[in-house]
Amino acid sequence: MSLATTKRNHLILTIVLALLALFFLSPILIVFMNSFKSKLFISNEPFAMPSADTFSGGENYISGSQKIKFFNAFGYSLFITVFSVIGISLVTSMLAWYLTRVKTKFTTFAYYLLVFSMIVPFQMVMFTMSKTANMLHLDNPIGILVLYIGFGSGLGTFMFSGFIKSIPLSLEEAAMIDGAGPVKTFFLIVFPILKPTAITVAILNTMWVWNDYLLPYLTIGTEYKTIPVAIQYLRGGYGAVDMGAMMAMLVLAMVPIIVFYLSAQKYIIRGVVAGAVKG
Amino acid sequence: MLFALPGLICFAIAFLIPMVMGVVLSFFKFTTVTDGTFIGIENYKRIFINNDFTSALWFTVKFTVVSVITINLGAFTLAMLLTRGIKGTNAFRTIFFMPNLIGGIVLGWIWQVIINGVLLPRGVTIVSDPKYGFWGLVVLMNWQNIGYMMVIYIAGIQNISHDLIEAAQIDGANKVTMLRSVILPSIMPSITICSFLTLTNGFKLFDQNLALTAGDPGKQTEMLALNIFNTFYGRSGFEGVGQAKAVLFTILVAFIALTQLRLTRSKEVEA
Amino acid sequence: MKKSLLIALLIVSVAMSSVLFAAGAQEAAPAKEVYFLNFKPEIADVYETKIAPAFEKETGIKLKVVTAASGTYAQTLKSEIAKSNPPVIFQTNGPVGLAESKNYTADLKNTEFYKILSDKTMALGDGEKVLAIPYAVEGYGIIYNDAIMRKYFALPNKAVSIKSADEITNFATLKAVVEDMTKNKSALGIQGVFASTSLAAGNQWRWQTHLVNVPLYFEVRDANIAMGSKVPEIKFSYSANMKNIWDLYLNNSSTAVGLLGAKSVDDSMAEFALGQVAMVQNGNWGAGQILGVKGNKVSDADIKFMPIYTGAAGEEKYGLNVGTENYLCINSNASVEQQKMADQFLTWLFASETGKQFVKNDLMFITPFNTFKDSELPTDPLAKDVIRWMNKPGVTSIPWAFSMIPSEEWKNQFGAALADYSVGRKNWAEVEKVAVDAWKTEFKLTN
Repeated sequence: MSLATTKRNHLILTIVLALLALFFLSPILIVFMNSFKSKLFISNEPFAMPSADTFSGGENYISGSQKIKFFNAFGYSLFITVFSVIGISLVTSMLAWYLTRVKTKFTTFAYYLLVFSMIVPFQMVMFTMSKTANMLHLDNPIGILVLYIGFGSGLGTFMFSGFIKSIPLSLEEAAMIDGAGPVKTFFLIVFPILKPTAITVAILNTMWVWNDYLLPYLTIGTEYKTIPVAIQYLRGGYGAVDMGAMMAMLVLAMVPIIVFYLSAQKYIIRGVVAGAVKG
Repeated sequence: MLFALPGLICFAIAFLIPMVMGVVLSFFKFTTVTDGTFIGIENYKRIFINNDFTSALWFTVKFTVVSVITINLGAFTLAMLLTRGIKGTNAFRTIFFMPNLIGGIVLGWIWQVIINGVLLPRGVTIVSDPKYGFWGLVVLMNWQNIGYMMVIYIAGIQNISHDLIEAAQIDGANKVTMLRSVILPSIMPSITICSFLTLTNGFKLFDQNLALTAGDPGKQTEMLALNIFNTFYGRSGFEGVGQAKAVLFTILVAFIALTQLRLTRSKEVEA
Repeated sequence: MKKSLLIALLIVSVAMSSVLFAAGAQEAAPAKEVYFLNFKPEIADVYETKIAPAFEKETGIKLKVVTAASGTYAQTLKSEIAKSNPPVIFQTNGPVGLAESKNYTADLKNTEFYKILSDKTMALGDGEKVLAIPYAVEGYGIIYNDAIMRKYFALPNKAVSIKSADEITNFATLKAVVEDMTKNKSALGIQGVFASTSLAAGNQWRWQTHLVNVPLYFEVRDANIAMGSKVPEIKFSYSANMKNIWDLYLNNSSTAVGLLGAKSVDDSMAEFALGQVAMVQNGNWGAGQILGVKGNKVSDADIKFMPIYTGAAGEEKYGLNVGTENYLCINSNASVEQQKMADQFLTWLFASETGKQFVKNDLMFITPFNTFKDSELPTDPLAKDVIRWMNKPGVTSIPWAFSMIPSEEWKNQFGAALADYSVGRKNWAEVEKVAVDAWKTEFKLTN
């Protein structure tokens, strides 16, 4: 194929992909556009641009945020996500280290149990877990961290174990000979090597916890609403849906995660690939 | 041992104990976890008293089959297109991946507004007919997951050994043969993982189902996870049946996932 | 190394500051608190913004009000009641609801609240025990805007010979008037005669419970079944009558049938309030939804009720559907202290001067309590008209037979069947079949 043909093909391809990309972005853009229209004009003409009559400025954002206490929800989501992710990375790496290094029937069994938990659908445990959580007084934003760590330990342990297997034992043995106890060995030698995996685990878990609906709804939903729970409440809580507020809140719900994505894109994509390869 | 303790404790509390309790309770009639009466397999029989479980199962199967095929075809095609080094590859990759970040509930609402807008001129809404809900879910799933799977396929394609490709080109392979005999076998691990993810995600889908149609009209667009949720919380006296359904659901997902893994793993070629 | 330290610090400080966002959303549960799980989203903010502060001011007891989203009360109650800080006051909707909640309803026989109930036979119980006390008597029918009706009757070429809305006393006349109004809707300046027949999820109760009550009542009346009995099966003998009124609603409404699945009760009430339609089926609890709409065009004097006519023989002698589905119970698992505070709140609400004013003006309940003088009955136009119809000579109110429906699941299935029928996916015979079969199945499952 001549260079000219290749170049022309590439151009066509670029144009096609650009159109596709625009199509991909359109739902987000449509919601964004509608959030500036006043509520009665959204359902009837969702694809129309705001005009002089229908433009409502920031009104939807204000009324929506008040209705569902968006900024509180944001706070809860942020707190729970950041701390569960840190917790999961820390706790599961420690767990994985133990399970990989100590080879007994028990640890092998525990490992398979953890992997199994990744397949089990949440509905299997949702009812019993919420009861257990309530009995142990874990139904608050701090207690829920325990639940997320527990539920997220399957994926975390799986990924860390895979990586730890490839760390030469000699490194750790050397540290032990030098007189380091297990704690020092782990934190000074092993964990730094695990950093890339820890980042992958952190990113995959952030995406999960930030967007999770059912777990927080069942355990802490009436008192402490995270963003997905608050959005869903906007639907059912007030009879008719205030479409304007809904649009505005959908935009606000998407903004943090998109900002996170654009700033950490490289790591996220790398993390997704790493997660898949290990699988 | 101390190292493992925090992880194991959290795991026990959040997963192990509830899981075991769940299985045990599926043989009981109960309202809270401490007041059950043993009734053997009665709950399992009750599952089939009306056909909402089986129709949810059928709907879920249809949906999963369709979305697994469309998502993987779409993702693979895009991956092939984005591994040619054309201008803007990175920007495209960013854009196609973006929908995956957005949570299920938010996604469901966004698409409900858009689909209702499209249907408005025809005087119907997404809940007027189950087929709108079905295709709505398929479109939503594709939008959310094509980017994610595409990234995995891109990595797989980029990892194909150049020697292999050159050897095939020297042998005079055309595009189709290249695809069939070189590319596909080499990226089998990617196919394994993408199939696994799309299959299990499709089967377990909940948030998007709840937000897009909540199962309406009637229960005709209710998928398995939502059906189980409604059995637990939507009516009283059926908690045991809900647990039994959940047990069946778990067995089903595990069976499908393991079968699929075994099938595609056996086709993987060592690089 | 420095960069990762910086990032770590950034993350931790962001997380810490998130607590600032979240703070102010909740405080630790104070010692003197009573948790009330409210059923009616229409008046949720009255409880939260007016009643709770007033009660706390007078007694120092904090009232925690949580309102379940429309159509989710049973679900919310079930999950809340099992928690360590459960609702102390909650609602049941009649014998079926009470049966589901029996394990945690306290005996109210010796409470102050029970003492103020005028007709003690209205309370629900179990043998000697009093478990649920009704707090609002309500009536529903077809609410109409008399101003639009007068406009219609003034038309020179109208098809009927009667001169005013209160001369409509049977289905045949209603049908003639409604269809003629539809023909003349541009002259009358309306988008349709009836407001949207809302069929959105959680919003079908006007049809699968309230509307079906009319044919249901006639059937059990004919079979001499007493109110409150267990009914193992129905034949749906008055189904043709239900079809009459259902078709009338669907074909003369402001919204095309395909779009009804997205309409809520609020939408319908707003259409009525803005003068876009002449009639809407609902009850006196909807007063707030009409009077509170911004741009409400209907004057109080023009808001009236007429019975739901279906073409049943002798229907001229029947009035509105009147009864109660709103019973309050106290959680028997709550501490003695909390149960006393609950009793205190309920008695305060329905017997004290401050409480009664809220009931009359804001909650707009017609209550069955002996503490309300005639001047303290609600004065909103709907409540007044319900009372007028209850007292009208020669006309009997239709009681709420729907409390004998075996389960919520039957209502859901019936509502879904009606929705399918309205878009042409089912014919009426299939709707009948669902009604009859589901009743049998549900009765077996719950008895």
